[in-house]
Amino acid sequence: MQTTDLFALQQRYSEQGILLCFNGPLSSSLIEEIGKALRNHMESQAVTPSSAMDVFGAYIELTQNIRHYFVGQAWSDAVATVVIARDADGHYVVSAGNRILAADGRHLLQRIAALAGMDRAALRAAYKEQLRRPREDASRGAGLGLIDMARKATRPLHADLQEVPDGSAFFSLTVTL
Amino acid sequence: MTELRIPGSLSSPTIHCSSQPPRLYMQGDSYPENAFDLYQPVLQWLQAHLSAADATLNMELELVYLNTSSVRVMMDVFDLLEEAHREGKQVAVRWYYDPRNERVAELAEEFREDLSLPFEIQPHS
Repeated sequence: MQTTDLFALQQRYSEQGILLCFNGPLSSSLIEEIGKALRNHMESQAVTPSSAMDVFGAYIELTQNIRHYFVGQAWSDAVATVVIARDADGHYVVSAGNRILAADGRHLLQRIAALAGMDRAALRAAYKEQLRRPREDASRGAGLGLIDMARKATRPLHADLQEVPDGSAFFSLTVTL
Repeated sequence: MTELRIPGSLSSPTIHCSSQPPRLYMQGDSYPENAFDLYQPVLQWLQAHLSAADATLNMELELVYLNTSSVRVMMDVFDLLEEAHREGKQVAVRWYYDPRNERVAELAEEFREDLSLPFEIQPHS
């Protein structure tokens, strides 16, 4: 049996500025606990309360979107990969990835590309419009959360989709605050 | 006289609704996975309270972070208050925030701009 080379893993995390990461089934209590660790970290780094709230908010929206997606698909355990890092410029970078139906993933890529082309005013208008949409339409497809993250991000949201032949895929989204 | 108290948690605010004096108070962060479930009793309490012809209400908020699911529910809460205001009932909102965290004031402002009821956004002293 091959043992995990934790030292190599740890070095890779350090090189990439990874502060916190998680890979496995994501429960709501785990989301809270990791969130608490993230907040404690930012407090120790003297991040301003408003910046800390933006980072925390992106983390919450990303992870809760994944939980909602799994519930919507009636898939058990919301298995997710979550990474929180700090880039060379000191920006916090929150990423999360999960299994997704390839068709849903392609749809998400389109929406994220559309958001990337919007300026602050257009994002604000899109947010208000989505907020007023009936809950039944809005509950699917991470509408409001995506726009909220796009508004708070300092760079356009970055999405990636790796499709596998069986019709499923791995979707990931990265938010730079 | 009806009263509703919901204790707070890491992801949900402390909520206190009272009809005597008529006041709705919420304090803390709000990011439950399903905010609608959490706030359902509050919406019901509000509807019942505001249905009286002479209803009045002071809403005092010390909410900090809201996830988008909570933002959606808060919009429903404010819609109920706005409707009461349009009917001539005395309702008012006061949202207190930590002046170091301007995100909270921005969030409150985005609600306020769509409403005509008295709505103050006040930094904590």
